Amino acid sequence: MNVIIVGAGNLGASLARKLSDLGHRITVIEKNPKAVSLLPRGRVDSGAMSIIHRDGSTSAAMIEAGISDADVFIAATGKDSLNGLAAQRAKTIFRVDEVMASVKDEGARTLYESLGISTINKATLAADQFASVLTSKA
Amino acid sequence: MYLVIVGGGKVGAPLASSLINEGHEVFVLDNDPDTVASLQRELGMVATIGDATSVRALQDAGAARAGALIATTNSDADNLSACQLARTNFDVPRTIAVAHSPENAELFDLAGVDLVVSATDLVLSNLATALPAHPLIRLMPVADRTQELVAIKLPAAGTAIGRTLSELTLPYGTKIVLMITAEGHSKTPDADALIEAEDEIVALTPANSTNELWELLTELR
Repeated sequence: MNVIIVGAGNLGASLARKLSDLGHRITVIEKNPKAVSLLPRGRVDSGAMSIIHRDGSTSAAMIEAGISDADVFIAATGKDSLNGLAAQRAKTIFRVDEVMASVKDEGARTLYESLGISTINKATLAADQFASVLTSKA
Repeated sequence: MYLVIVGGGKVGAPLASSLINEGHEVFVLDNDPDTVASLQRELGMVATIGDATSVRALQDAGAARAGALIATTNSDADNLSACQLARTNFDVPRTIAVAHSPENAELFDLAGVDLVVSATDLVLSNLATALPAHPLIRLMPVADRTQELVAIKLPAAGTAIGRTLSELTLPYGTKIVLMITAEGHSKTPDADALIEAEDEIVALTPANSTNELWELLTELR
């Protein structure tokens, strides 16, 4: 599948690596040229993974990333509102099938889910994991 | 009316001040402590520090009883988020947002923001007004941007000069609203109104017919 990921921070970079391992074609949009150190360098150099240095919430960046051929769009920056804006553009303007966003605020999650955008909350996921580790030890 | 303003900067601060003067109850939410401190010095306790992209902050600002929320920050993403959260979580009846980029203005419309103020459009139309030679001025979008109110200055050597309004074949759906002479007098746009050199014509036109109208009115002999 063709996957576009906005944001190359901890979440974006881990996702890019993982989905690339599974054989998907990954394009990462990251505004800050210095913030791509977490991406697998070998794959970027060999062209297996592309990086675009632009504001990932804009149409221009999405078009350059090949959004018309994208199957999945994931907004994974650290900012809820930016992820929300990018995800809504991908969904309503570019009609990408599967759109996901990382969102911290629970109220915002409900809003985006109601628009057909899948959301994850990193903190909740981490808390669940810790809790299940504790439960399995108890 | 109780109004929540998101962003107390270059747009939000003067807006808050003028709305207070008009008798509204205003509350400003801004994530910058210095901005909030300066608002409090000038306007009293009408501002607090908070992130308007979180439901909690909107709740603390009293969004549930707000008659409208106006988002004026520098971040289009924050403005959209604040409006959407205000509507879905607190049923705020009217949401208004500044969109700095034109493509975001379009997205805000689709996302259900009630009134989108496009910063670029405003600057462009003001610049156009400042340039006397510019023949087309977009005054305002109408009916969800499907139509627009425009003003067109007619060149002295135009083919339309000396004809009456009824002799023009206007684009479908276009209505002439007002005619203003070079001296600044208004003329009623009747069918037999005479078009004179340097007249300015104000028209309501379907947005996709604006160029056609402009070409018709500015075509040179």
